[in-house]
Amino acid sequence: MVVLAASIISKSGKALVSRQFVDMSRIRIEGLLAAFPKLVGIGKQHTYVETENVRYVYQPIEALYLLLVTNKQSNILEDLETLRLLSKLVPEYCSNLDEEGICKTAFELIFAFDEVISLGHKENVTVAQVKQYCEMESHEEKLHKLVLQSKINETKDVMKRKASEIDKSKIEKNRGEKGGFMSLTSSGRIESSFSEMSISSGGGGFGSSSGFGLSTEVESFSSKNKGRPSASATAPPKGLGMKLGKTQRTNQFLESLKAEGEVIVEDVPPTTTQSKSAVPPPTDPVTLTVEEKINVTLKRDGGVSNFDVQGTLSLQILNQEDGLIQVQIESRADSGILFKTHPNINKELFSNENILGLKDPNRPFPTGQSGDAAGVGLLKWRIQNLDESLVPLTINCWPSVSGNETYVSIEYEASSMFDLRNVVISVPLPALRDAPNVRQIDGEWRYDPRASTLEWSILLIDSSNRSGSMEFVVPPADSSVFFPISVRFTAAKTFSDLKVLNVLPLRGGSPPKFSQRTQLITENYRVE
Amino acid sequence: MEKSCSLLVHFDSSTPALANEIKEALEGNDVPAKIEAMKSAIMLLLNGETIPQLFITIIRYVLPTDDHTIRKLLLLYLEIIDKTDSKGKVLPEMILICQKLRDNLQHPNEYIRGVTLRFLCRMNETEIIEPLIPSVLSNLEHRHPFVRRNAILAIMAIYKLPQGEQLLVDAPEMIEKALLSEQDPSAKRNAFLMLFNCAQDRAVNYLFTHVDSVPEWGELLQMVVLELIRKVCRTNPGEKGKYIKIIISLLNAPSEAVIYECAGTLVSLSSAPTAIRAAANTYCQLLLSQSDNNVKLIVLDRLNELKSSHRDVMIDMIMDVLRALSSPNLDIRRKTLDIVLELITPRNIDEVVLTLKKEVVKTQSTELEKNGEYRQMLVQAIHTCAIKFPEVASTVVHLLMDFLGDSNVSSAMDVVVFVREIIATNPKLRVSIIMRLLDTFYQIRATRVCACALWIIGEYCLSLSEVESGIATIKQCLGDLPFYTATEEQNAVDAPKQPPQANSITVSSRRPAILADGTYATQSAASEIAVAPPSLVAGSLSSTGNLRSLLLIGDFFLGTVIACTLTKLVLRYGEVQPSKVEVNKASSQALLTMVSMLQLGHSSVLPHPIDNDSYDRVVLCIRLLCNTGDEIRKIWLQSCRQSFVKMLADKQLRETEENKAKAQTSHAQPDDLIDFYHLKNRKGMSQLELEDQVQDDLKRATGDFTKDGDDENKLNRILQLTGFSDPVYAEAYVTVHHYDIVLDVTIINRTKETLQNLCLELATMGDLKLVERPQNYTLAPESSKQIKANIKVSSTETGVIFGNIVYETSNVLERTVIVLNDIHIDIMDYITPASCADWTFRTMWAEFEWENKVAVNTVIQDEKEFLNHIVKSTNMKCLTPPSVLDGECGFLSANLYAKSVFGEDALVNLSIEKQADGKLSGYIRIRSKTQGIALSLGDKITLKQKGGS
Repeated sequence: MVVLAASIISKSGKALVSRQFVDMSRIRIEGLLAAFPKLVGIGKQHTYVETENVRYVYQPIEALYLLLVTNKQSNILEDLETLRLLSKLVPEYCSNLDEEGICKTAFELIFAFDEVISLGHKENVTVAQVKQYCEMESHEEKLHKLVLQSKINETKDVMKRKASEIDKSKIEKNRGEKGGFMSLTSSGRIESSFSEMSISSGGGGFGSSSGFGLSTEVESFSSKNKGRPSASATAPPKGLGMKLGKTQRTNQFLESLKAEGEVIVEDVPPTTTQSKSAVPPPTDPVTLTVEEKINVTLKRDGGVSNFDVQGTLSLQILNQEDGLIQVQIESRADSGILFKTHPNINKELFSNENILGLKDPNRPFPTGQSGDAAGVGLLKWRIQNLDESLVPLTINCWPSVSGNETYVSIEYEASSMFDLRNVVISVPLPALRDAPNVRQIDGEWRYDPRASTLEWSILLIDSSNRSGSMEFVVPPADSSVFFPISVRFTAAKTFSDLKVLNVLPLRGGSPPKFSQRTQLITENYRVE
Repeated sequence: MEKSCSLLVHFDSSTPALANEIKEALEGNDVPAKIEAMKSAIMLLLNGETIPQLFITIIRYVLPTDDHTIRKLLLLYLEIIDKTDSKGKVLPEMILICQKLRDNLQHPNEYIRGVTLRFLCRMNETEIIEPLIPSVLSNLEHRHPFVRRNAILAIMAIYKLPQGEQLLVDAPEMIEKALLSEQDPSAKRNAFLMLFNCAQDRAVNYLFTHVDSVPEWGELLQMVVLELIRKVCRTNPGEKGKYIKIIISLLNAPSEAVIYECAGTLVSLSSAPTAIRAAANTYCQLLLSQSDNNVKLIVLDRLNELKSSHRDVMIDMIMDVLRALSSPNLDIRRKTLDIVLELITPRNIDEVVLTLKKEVVKTQSTELEKNGEYRQMLVQAIHTCAIKFPEVASTVVHLLMDFLGDSNVSSAMDVVVFVREIIATNPKLRVSIIMRLLDTFYQIRATRVCACALWIIGEYCLSLSEVESGIATIKQCLGDLPFYTATEEQNAVDAPKQPPQANSITVSSRRPAILADGTYATQSAASEIAVAPPSLVAGSLSSTGNLRSLLLIGDFFLGTVIACTLTKLVLRYGEVQPSKVEVNKASSQALLTMVSMLQLGHSSVLPHPIDNDSYDRVVLCIRLLCNTGDEIRKIWLQSCRQSFVKMLADKQLRETEENKAKAQTSHAQPDDLIDFYHLKNRKGMSQLELEDQVQDDLKRATGDFTKDGDDENKLNRILQLTGFSDPVYAEAYVTVHHYDIVLDVTIINRTKETLQNLCLELATMGDLKLVERPQNYTLAPESSKQIKANIKVSSTETGVIFGNIVYETSNVLERTVIVLNDIHIDIMDYITPASCADWTFRTMWAEFEWENKVAVNTVIQDEKEFLNHIVKSTNMKCLTPPSVLDGECGFLSANLYAKSVFGEDALVNLSIEKQADGKLSGYIRIRSKTQGIALSLGDKITLKQKGGS
């Protein structure tokens, strides 16, 4: 399964470009390439040649051959696909397909070949992706540069402000201690100028390459001998007057830090709207949460390739004294649900009476004060082999190329079983310069240029809008680009319809108050 | 180990970039100019011009550049440059490079990181890589999959280095962790690949913990899983049970590439019929579902392999394989038929023949370009079937006889040869075949087919009615006698300006033809030109019989066949017809026909008269009919048939012998070593031995594979290059590989002085090219040096390598030159005996442009001995079967054939005659597509033919 080399040679056997992916000597590859034109038959309807040791898979491009040299056990299907991809790439980089044109763009071709084959193994990439990889346009780099620039500007601002401050304080001082001025000079001045320097270098290091401009400013300060040293993080404070300056300065630094920090935070992780609505901290002494996670993989041409539901019932008890309880539940009588209890749960009790209690009746359920975890898992279940008709939301995506544009229309259809909330359908897009042109939409959309996805969000799907559609236009792209579409939503009903009937105290007394939360969330819901 | 070469770019040496210009551009600030300069620097470097000062320039001026393209080009430059000095130590400049690489690895641009990581995969110098390792590892957790997947590959490459395990002790653990959390399919694949290569146990472990989800994994990952399974099972055959299930589940994968791979893996793992059947089934499905010809052909190759190793399983698949005939591609059809023909058994023969018949009928109904050839293939296939299972002959022979009149001569020829063989071997079918042949005879258009059909009629018309209708059919096809009338002749004379083009056709076709035994014969007419000269056809009857029209274009060879057939029929008629009157009538009519033919032969209507051979033969027939005798009857009516039967038997014998020989070679020799795999000491075996198949495949492909040569042979090949009294003694050992020649030159300084700047300069003549420029050496007194030189060969030709040794001594400033002995590269190293069918030989002979004619001049007196001598000295194969060469007649003609390693064909025809004085005379003709072979082979033969010495 190894591609030894990808090459372009002229019909006469001149090797124009060749990129080897395994170690081989020059004489060997030249020999192989020189032998090839003699082996190619004329009028053959297939495009591979086998010799004793290697197989050539080729494709004529005008007066040239695009050629893959592979070993004989290589997978022909995969090699042909690689070849097809390469043949699409060559015209992308090379406008006139003759010897001269290829030679001119030889290095660009080598770069592109590298993206398609790594160490002889095929990569799963499209032409658009290869182009993107070769262009090397990186958001992060731009961002990095922006941050750098903003840091430089920030620091400059700080310096200016500080300069004016120093000016001001100097004037004040001049007013206040006219006499004492001279006495302060001598040794203190030199030190102060030093400490200034050290501050500036610290600042410079922070903003990395901003060094030069800053240091000149500082130098000018110190040379004018106006500066009163104000402390920095590195230099220990000296004298009284600095205290004020210090707090201010650190504040400024902090502020600038924060400002910079924010810039980064804002842009780095694309904050995705969480489908799981934030759970408010429980107030009731006993909280029972029924949660089902749904995993669905829909095929793009209809049908379901994977559909299962995993559910958990968890218990959260605020106070220790409420810990000795049992929970009675009720679920839909359905053989398709496979229950699994926590090992500490009395299985018999559960299977006979649908009551969840600990094996050791004297042990209380663990309590958890914190609102972070969902509590203690009591019961897990799985529903598999669900009927296709039960899929809560089906997506139908139709990309169609017409002329210079690709029209993509997407429609959804929700089953009447559930009312879906916070539905977000994200469609991957090819790398675009601008946001796609959305022609029509039921709901709202958002384009995330970083992830290159289009997010279609609908707050609520209920009986009023069981189906809806959207259409947008992008530059021409392969239809496979728009997949996999991923979907997120929540619902207040579950597949299993599991309910907590009652909480039974073991030591008598009135049953503690309990609250119940039920929700269905998507874990992995994709259209491929 | 030779230095590996990772890229080639065509370098136009006519416009060499000057080092100065490059340097200037590199130092400048203009980015496009810099890019161009980098490119030329790389190209110069690739072509062996290591300009050392350029490297420093690049470090100083290119290293700090931030442009992405320049960065990438820089990486390419670093990839190909020598990173070590002559002692194998890393150059000190590399420290600077290292720093740059580290910056790259921490660059905010994810693509810069990625390409740098990829570059690291190709690095071998531990010293450079070591400081980079922390940065590489940090990239494992980069946000962008592009970086991660390359980081994993880089780690794999580093780990595989000789000291890699010390550099990255916990790499497998890290990768395993990464694999668990990885989502990107490509990165996942790479991670699994890394585990597979570096920590197989972990890979296996991972596979088994996720065994349920394997079918959902990405295509890329599944491929590596299959590779892993193959490797594990090769080293540990006991464990294959665990894996079969995975393979079976992958057989339903959505990707065809995976399915194909699965089938291959299955075959390599197990020889259980179920597994083989599953694999064969998969291949058959691919065969049908894939539209690409390449895939079909290769899948057929796989099926062919399966066929030879598991014939019993494949027999059941025969009908599925046959379905591939639906492809319009001839190569595919041919391969399919080849496979099928070896799988036929008594049980499936009927089905197969039925399908073949259907296909034949299909070619009749639709007119496609390649139908003729396809039909020919089918006819041959049916022919083979019928020979193996004579009982099917009856079902097909009639159908095939419809194609006797096929416009495709070779397919019609095949049919008629088939019929001839069937009628000889299946006496039961004789009557029906004869009836059918007589019915369809008028449709036959081609001379050769006609001749053969006439022979059948002459031999196998036995009963009275058959003989009668035979004679009648021939007569009908000849039309009314005489062949031309005086008025026609008048017409012809009146129009002396015969259409010049018709003339030119016939004249140009009067070239020497080659007979089946390879000798030249001058044919009197264009035998297969279907268009008769218009003036003659116009004058003849409107419904011209086929024989008549052929005769009228001057095909007298056919005339002799007609005469012989008529003679035979009349002779037989005399035996079966009691009435003497009828016999005499038939005899006289036959005589009339023959005489008319002779008359036509001497008339001026035809552009050329009857040739002497044909004339003699027709006259012989006339004499026979006039004067019959028992002896002659016996010869004509029985001996002919006997010799034909003998020929058939001989053919069969040869085939069975060949098969026997083939079967024999596949068996082990009695004294062969038997390896008991399980008894073998695993420790003593090298890795290569363990995974021979696949590894070998790759090794061979990269040219790593060298067979241990014969030591004795090696010594024979040593060439002395300088004299013993020269100050420098040199000898070379020449190894000829397929595409290159390696000269191992040993140089010994025989003086008491140090030789400086000693250089072995080589120059070549012919299709040879020196790959690398020689280096300069300094040779201490009385010391020796081994120098290797690679020479590239691109076609079969006698090449000569010339050379000098140039050196300086310390006290003399001028350079001394010693001229070396020439090294002749022998063509014999490049050609191997090969065989081809008779007709391919003949078409090639007609096509090839270069002929070299060598007059025979030898001391050898015996023809056969001379032939053997030529065969031995040229390393060719004699295509003429030995039975033909039997006997002593003073003449010998034989065809020899060989193929060069570059795929060129070399044809030789040897035609000799023993003179009265016992000497041999004649010519050896060599034909080839390229001048090189014809010339060098000719030289070789001229040199060697003397013999004796």
